[in-house]
Amino acid sequence: MSPDILDESSVIWFGPQHVSAHGWAAKLTIVGDYIVECDPNAGYFHRSAEKCLEFRNFRQGSMILERICMMEAFLAEYPYIAAVEKIVDLEIPERAKIMRTIMMEFNRIHSLQFWWGQFAGELGLFVMLLWPWVDREYSLDAFEELTGSRHTVSYATPGGVKYDFTPKFLAKMEKALTRVKDRMPVFEDMLSGSPTFRLRTEGVAHYTAKQALKWGLSGPNIKACGIPMDLRKDDPDPNLAYDMIDWEVPVINNEEHPGESDAFDRLLQRFKEIETSLDIIDKLLPLLPEGPIIDPKARSKANRLPEGEGYGRVEGTRGITTVWLKTMEKAQTPWRAKIRGPCFASYYALKHIVPGARFADFPAIFGSLDPYPGWWDR
Amino acid sequence: MGFVGNLGDIFKILKHTFRQVFRRPFTYFYPFEDREYPETTRGRHIHIRETCNACAACVRACPVAAIRIDKEDKKFEKDCALYFDYTRCLFCGDCVRACRYDALFHTPIVDISEGDREDLIYGPDKITTLDRDPLEWRGRRFR
Ligand code: SF4
Ligand code: SF4
Repeated sequence: MSPDILDESSVIWFGPQHVSAHGWAAKLTIVGDYIVECDPNAGYFHRSAEKCLEFRNFRQGSMILERICMMEAFLAEYPYIAAVEKIVDLEIPERAKIMRTIMMEFNRIHSLQFWWGQFAGELGLFVMLLWPWVDREYSLDAFEELTGSRHTVSYATPGGVKYDFTPKFLAKMEKALTRVKDRMPVFEDMLSGSPTFRLRTEGVAHYTAKQALKWGLSGPNIKACGIPMDLRKDDPDPNLAYDMIDWEVPVINNEEHPGESDAFDRLLQRFKEIETSLDIIDKLLPLLPEGPIIDPKARSKANRLPEGEGYGRVEGTRGITTVWLKTMEKAQTPWRAKIRGPCFASYYALKHIVPGARFADFPAIFGSLDPYPGWWDR
Repeated sequence: MGFVGNLGDIFKILKHTFRQVFRRPFTYFYPFEDREYPETTRGRHIHIRETCNACAACVRACPVAAIRIDKEDKKFEKDCALYFDYTRCLFCGDCVRACRYDALFHTPIVDISEGDREDLIYGPDKITTLDRDPLEWRGRRFR
């Protein structure tokens, strides 16, 4: 880039008040229609969640985490619970393990449905924004039936889960999942079958697997490059039920450019993620045993924790989500909590991906990486 | 062919239009009608003072300190007065789970918005009953 080109450049802020930039802002240096520099800025969404965790006891902390990312509320609260369960010895009943896993996959489906709509909306396909969100209502109705809340489910607690599955919930979940299954081909046709959509996503936001590893991407963003990196398979949580069944890590490997991914591949990857989640739920539901849903001693055991360190992690919708806790002897609250969200990496990867792209492609690049501001501004 | 074919298309479109016009709308005419909420909905609370034991377990369970307890204010033998601050409450359901005397429940009432911040602090007179003042605006009753 010669310096005289930069003489004609102008600087545009994308966000923080732009409609598709809900709580983030990127400073774009533009020459003509091309972006030559992208400087992502964090800090517009900061709510000091880590500090808040230091003032909540171990049964209350997960409520804070849920509010970091409402779309994947259960997946966001679970790492905290997992970290507490690493420090204190709790016996999770089999039924609770399976229920947690089912709920986790159900939440992932809901979050991905939200993402379809959002991504298509950012590209200007407004019909595609509303249709998956209608289907999402069915999932939300099921959450409401089970827990009483549509988004912030507060479902897990150290030692088990809070609410038992009811026949009404199972019927509603069945309805929601059938709806997803029925409509998947329609959406696949509307997105990947549409020439406009393909033109806007193919070849956009291109990176290789090596770069993705270097930037620390995880979740669908790295699986779209053909790397089967999935915590559910690589390091199955003993308190979840992923190792009880046989399932395949969803990976897209595009034959035209193996080991690389563009926005279109990441879209296909997320479709595949939904199929895997549906498959996991189908396989786990018949395994659901009768029995208690919570360790009877959980209440007293989680009251005061011994000194220790706990590191809970889970494969979220957007990537690896972790919480680290440090406790002192007989602690009622954590001494220090650290949240590692999946999206900090994908947000700062924009700095390397965006230069050279056209300005109109910026929402496509951003949307395909699916960063959520709550995860970098904790 | 052309004219008849076009006529067929026009009738097709008209059929859809008429179907949409006479269909029930997909949206609710809120606040005059509302959807059905499941029984489990975590809406505003109700406090049953008859069975309350003034154990303050709900106060300790609350992650955001939304409940204030007044143990002096007794209507029955062992009960207490609770003040719920709905400007803070997250509707997480932990207070209800913590109560071992069946004295605190969620209700499916979720439309609790008010014009004044003070009105959102539900004292013992408001939290123990589901009755509310009717809300009227331009001669129409909202609740
Ligand atoms: S629902 Fe949760 S936030 Fe609200 S008063 Fe009860 S414990 Fe506190
Ligand atoms: S409502 Fe329940 S938990 Fe709260 S003080 Fe009364 S008995 Fe105790």
